[in-house]
Amino acid sequence: MMKKNPYASQNAVIEKVVQETPGIKTFQVRPDKAFSFRCGQFAELLVPGVGEAPFAPSSPAYRPELLEFTIQNVGYMTSRLHAMDAGDRVGLRGPYGNGFPLDAFKGRDILLLIGGVGFPPARALLYSLLQDRASYPRIVMCYGARSPRDIVYQYQLDDLGKEIEFHITVDRPDEGWTGKTGVVTTLLDKVSLNLGKTAAVVIGPPIMMKFGTLKLLKVGFPPESIYLSMERKMYCGVGQCRHCMIDHLFICKDGPVFQFSQLQHFSDIWE
Amino acid sequence: MTSVERYYVGKEQWESILKDWLFKYSVLAPLKKAGINHIESITSDNYQKIIYDEARPVQPLKTFLLPSLEDVAGGSPQTQKSSLLLGIKACDLSALPILDRAFGGDFADPFYQARRDKTVIVSSDCSQPWETCFCTLVGGQPYPLKGFDLNLTKVWDGFIIEVGSLKGRDLFDGYDKLLKELVREEELALQKMRREVLRKVDKQNHPHYLKRSVSELLDGQWESEVWDRHASTCVECGACNLACPTCHCYFLDDVTRREGVKLRGWDACLYSGYAVTAGGGTPRPRLVQRFRNRYACKLQYLEKNYGQLGCTGCGRCIEGCQGLIDMRKAMHELSKSPGAGS
Repeated sequence: MMKKNPYASQNAVIEKVVQETPGIKTFQVRPDKAFSFRCGQFAELLVPGVGEAPFAPSSPAYRPELLEFTIQNVGYMTSRLHAMDAGDRVGLRGPYGNGFPLDAFKGRDILLLIGGVGFPPARALLYSLLQDRASYPRIVMCYGARSPRDIVYQYQLDDLGKEIEFHITVDRPDEGWTGKTGVVTTLLDKVSLNLGKTAAVVIGPPIMMKFGTLKLLKVGFPPESIYLSMERKMYCGVGQCRHCMIDHLFICKDGPVFQFSQLQHFSDIWE
Repeated sequence: MTSVERYYVGKEQWESILKDWLFKYSVLAPLKKAGINHIESITSDNYQKIIYDEARPVQPLKTFLLPSLEDVAGGSPQTQKSSLLLGIKACDLSALPILDRAFGGDFADPFYQARRDKTVIVSSDCSQPWETCFCTLVGGQPYPLKGFDLNLTKVWDGFIIEVGSLKGRDLFDGYDKLLKELVREEELALQKMRREVLRKVDKQNHPHYLKRSVSELLDGQWESEVWDRHASTCVECGACNLACPTCHCYFLDDVTRREGVKLRGWDACLYSGYAVTAGGGTPRPRLVQRFRNRYACKLQYLEKNYGQLGCTGCGRCIEGCQGLIDMRKAMHELSKSPGAGS
């Protein structure tokens, strides 16, 4: 008997494509079989005959039959994906990784420090937190985008602002922008937090994660209260190919969510 | 098996058994090819030319369990004849537990597993180490102690055969009467030969002796100038990675323009593109970072992941290096340079 092939994908069909920003689209994908996952886990999404890459769903974990992936057009695989439309077929395998430790979050205030396309996995986390809203006394999100055009999920932000404390900033404002300007870490200066009680989640591009983490440490967060969703070049997703390693840890298997205390003594952490 | 099970078999008897095995197995063993010991397919034409002793062949054992390129999209690999690998040396055998653990577990690779299950390993003692051999420097020895189905030690005009597994025992079904119980002279010859080879490897590596244990070599040495010095002649060809019996990094490639094909191929962490993401970022943009990463993987990470050192001292990385980089020299310098333990 052939054992299950961990490199084989199941079929999925794109049902809907939402243009979030000029370079970012959300793909609503229906897999043949429900794809159960925990928020923060990721899938390997395959464009047949083109390529495969890891993405965390941005949709709620309690809806495994219809997933959403919000993806920026940055490389070969994502450019081909961006050319696809409703009815087109993709592949999915996973879920992989540990996901966010919701049990460890329970009873604590949650700070989400999010940059750019770090929002998609954060959205999956928010769905889970909001489903169990009473367990988290305070939820604060600080989101930074490059410019007003680069803000994702604009159609949901008003509603989100009613459920949690939502702060937003852009690096480069345009003429119509009336909100805050500056990198996302500047938002932290205006938010007062109970450091002993708060778990901070940092997701975003490497440079933002680096300075976000340094800022949180400076503000006084202990390293074990800073949760990072890490990203690296990845092929297998199952702890074999070794491309995603930080020191001896596999991002795909031991992560992608790490407490900073797990990583702080390693070198070459950030890209 | 509680005690060591050993027999003596004469060369003629051994070859008569081997001829029978040629029908049942696809037999692979080292032959001389342009002066190099190269594992080749064995047939009734060349079985008498097999090199049982000397030292390791040019190909690492992983070549036969994890092909350099294969399609891993579909079903099981073609049902093939079982393989009998002959003449495998201790430095390759001791890499096997790392591969077994990496490709086993929760997400076991069925392609590796299928080949592994169908492979019988008949190892043999080294009699003459290459100049690049350094197994004793990293805790090994030039003769197999475990991990084989059978092990051969060439003595006089025959072999001492040690049975290492039931699979190995079964190979002799029907041939029992060709095996002779070991006599004391043969036992002593084996001990003497092993002592001598061990001494040879030790002696040629004396200039590279390590002042600290291998697993402590990197302590306090992350910023050492040893890295810059040794990486300075690296041409990023990846030969050290590809030739290494424990290296098993791979890429997956769907860019085939054909659906249902997913190629897996050996990758090398020395390549500048190894960890580059779609956005162009990489955690190790500088060559010296990638060079250091390989050593860290061999000497620390693999041990943390799979419980054993990632270097077996086979010396292929030295032999294959275009930049004349010698891992023994780098390790020796790391072991004595100041800053250690700081």
